[in-house]
Amino acid sequence: MDKREMNRREFIKRSAACAAYATAGMALSGLVGPYAGADQAPDIVLANGSPGPAAWAAVKALGGMQRFVRPGDRVVIKPNMSFPNPPDWATTTHPEVVRALTEMCIKAGAGSVLVLDNPLRNPELCVERSGLKAACGDLPQAQIEGITNRRFFEEVKVPEGKALKATMIMKAVLEANVLIAAPVAKSHSATGVSLAMKGMMGLIYDRMAFHLDLDLDEAVVDLCTVLRPKLTVIDASRLLSEGGPGGPGKVIKLNKVIASTDMVAADAMAVEQGTWYGRKFKAKQVKHVRIAHQRGLGNLEVKSQIVKEVSA
Amino acid sequence: MRFQRFLQIPLFALFLLLLGLAAYPLPSWLPVDLFLRLDPLLSLGSMATARAFIPRVAWSLLVIGLTLFVGRLFCGYICPMGATIDFADWVSGRKQKERMRNSFEASGRFRNFKYLFLVALGGTTLIGVSSIFFFSPLSLITRFYSFVLWPLALMTANLILDTSRFLFPWIGMKELAFFRFSVPVFNTNLFVGSLVVAILALGLIRSRFWCRNLCPAGAIFALFSFRPLFKRKVSEGCTNCGLCLRSCPMGAIGEDFVATAHSECIACLKCREICPEKAISFKVARKAPAPVPEIDLNRREILSAGLTGVAAAAVAMTNLNHLHGAEAPRALRSSRLIRPPGALPEPAFQARCVRCGECVKGCLTNTLQPVWLEAGITGLWTPKITARLAGCEQNCNVCGHLCPTGAIRPMDLEEKKFAKVGTAHIIKSRCIAWEQDKKCLICDEICPYNAISSQLVPGRPVTVPVIDENKCNGCGYCENKCPVIGESAILVEPLGELRLATGSYQEKARELGLVFHAKAGVEDHFILNAGEAYERSIQRSPAVKDKEGVIPLPPGFVPE
Repeated sequence: MDKREMNRREFIKRSAACAAYATAGMALSGLVGPYAGADQAPDIVLANGSPGPAAWAAVKALGGMQRFVRPGDRVVIKPNMSFPNPPDWATTTHPEVVRALTEMCIKAGAGSVLVLDNPLRNPELCVERSGLKAACGDLPQAQIEGITNRRFFEEVKVPEGKALKATMIMKAVLEANVLIAAPVAKSHSATGVSLAMKGMMGLIYDRMAFHLDLDLDEAVVDLCTVLRPKLTVIDASRLLSEGGPGGPGKVIKLNKVIASTDMVAADAMAVEQGTWYGRKFKAKQVKHVRIAHQRGLGNLEVKSQIVKEVSA
Repeated sequence: MRFQRFLQIPLFALFLLLLGLAAYPLPSWLPVDLFLRLDPLLSLGSMATARAFIPRVAWSLLVIGLTLFVGRLFCGYICPMGATIDFADWVSGRKQKERMRNSFEASGRFRNFKYLFLVALGGTTLIGVSSIFFFSPLSLITRFYSFVLWPLALMTANLILDTSRFLFPWIGMKELAFFRFSVPVFNTNLFVGSLVVAILALGLIRSRFWCRNLCPAGAIFALFSFRPLFKRKVSEGCTNCGLCLRSCPMGAIGEDFVATAHSECIACLKCREICPEKAISFKVARKAPAPVPEIDLNRREILSAGLTGVAAAAVAMTNLNHLHGAEAPRALRSSRLIRPPGALPEPAFQARCVRCGECVKGCLTNTLQPVWLEAGITGLWTPKITARLAGCEQNCNVCGHLCPTGAIRPMDLEEKKFAKVGTAHIIKSRCIAWEQDKKCLICDEICPYNAISSQLVPGRPVTVPVIDENKCNGCGYCENKCPVIGESAILVEPLGELRLATGSYQEKARELGLVFHAKAGVEDHFILNAGEAYERSIQRSPAVKDKEGVIPLPPGFVPE
């Protein structure tokens, strides 16, 4: 999987650029810096509109799916489909977003697209009631599976792990060429928010150890050192502001889809776009996002990055 | 192959198919418990014990009506227990020559037992204790196929899947790439299996030993098939070779080869098929020779059997662990005995439940399990929710729709949500958040009804789970998912369960102030228990400042 790293020079350069824009009074909002460069792909895309078209627009603005998926690739899309709840509860990824991503992958020539999660509840019910089965079921190259059986997981070492040293990951993910994180934006009663990084816990077999034996926030980051999506698309069409991860809770309509090649940046953007437990938070206030940034997994400084806002 | 098998085998296959379909999602247009409804013992027995007419199992009255015309046709053609016994007898391969003494007169030693069992069961029914489940052939055999053979069949299927999995992508069956049956587990399965195997083993003594001698449902049919419309006729061509007598699976033919006990004849037509002279036919006839006496019971035997039943029921009722209808109700119920949602009040529930195991088989999550003696001797095999194994899925209501006798009420999903089965409570000494300061929120995460919230309480460095009992409907997901090894640190107990014989659970729940479906956007997502200090919860009102004037952060967040 791709390892996108930012060196210090680039970081400073971009920070300076952003600051310049801000002082020039060109910012559209306090959070979002405008993107003026023509050639350079943005770091984060913020797409407004209904879930499906916004997902298309977001990926297009990042350079299109062909940037990530080559013909014949085996793609795994990891949505959140952990609960047998309808889309409007905002506990699972919107079916239109997953549908759009699947179609994009197929259009880019993907050999197969697997939509995978290890749901917390009965897998058949989860894929059915989340609307994801209906959304992707008719695409011949696509397959949606809630995998819970140990047989389909394989032990993987976590060399950079501080808390987590090894874990069992879905074989299909290990065999894939491309991993796409497609979480829904929601609150989480243990990690504050559950976005792309926390969502990676849906690709492993034993989540118990995370809660029981390990520092949860640290372990989530450890896991992301071995599970690094090439592309992160966060469904923030609506956001579960509190009551996560299972809901029901307060749902806020945002009509946004966030995309980035950097899962930390995408998560950070989602944190700052949303309202959580009735309050606004900075990305660095979410413990696992901050740890990921500190450990160099990605960049949580939204303001220092090239953000492109598009509408669909 | 004779005519009987053309009906018996497809009907047996239908029995298995319907049993397989007794699962989520339930085909609502299909009576998947069809065969159970046809068993007269199960039907009349449950009605008599429940002192109520149960329309759903009244289908058996049609079968009894049919018996008046065609004799024990049910036993030979429809009964899955009969088919299983026939199969076992065929496998055991005992040949006719070993069955020389197979005449009605010579093989009659135990024949009366079935009538006496029937009378004894009548006696227990009179007292109001159900024990038909020990003897009802459909109850026995449905349990057997559900608890014993169903998991074995799935394990075999998985073995085949796993060994041929590498082939699937090549033959265009990618859907199977991740497919595996989850194999259910069942309590008491060894016992259930042993009982049926014992019944099958009796076939080594005589073919269809159970049907001839022991089956009380067979006894009911026997009583109604004394003089059926179609009768066995032996013509002049009979050479007294005795082949028919030796091969009759029921031993229904008299020593003179002509007399026929129609109370025993299952109209399988084996004698007609096997007769070398073609001298045997089944025809409409007014009279046909029958052995005398055909049913050899005296008043003393009947009375003793009846009294034995009454006495056994009375003893069961004065057993310490008897849960219902005793002289005085006692609070000796096991705190782990959680009944399925919609189960009638315990006395009516036990009276109606025929222990067929349909609900247990159909249970989506496998949480329903037959109990041993947890509900008293008379409660054997009644279903209970075993939350440690699995929770009760909120979007599934299969058990009530499968119950043939209405011991579990059929409900729609909304109504079922309100049929509270119990209340979870935390064993703080076992909980790793309460006891070991571990950051565990699994029960809070999993609770489908938001009845559990993680709260900061004074003296605890991490949030700990707290239950709002008015939101808990006892589904048991918390108990199931609790990461503690062994017994869960959060247990569902019967306190607060709703057991209504009639009326709406929703109304009752509202009356009691229970809230089972916190809607999206409700303000009280994190509810504190009444009397708990308001400022304990940082999550409920993050804007409220603590003593130092700082706004506390929800879990997972850190200061800037």
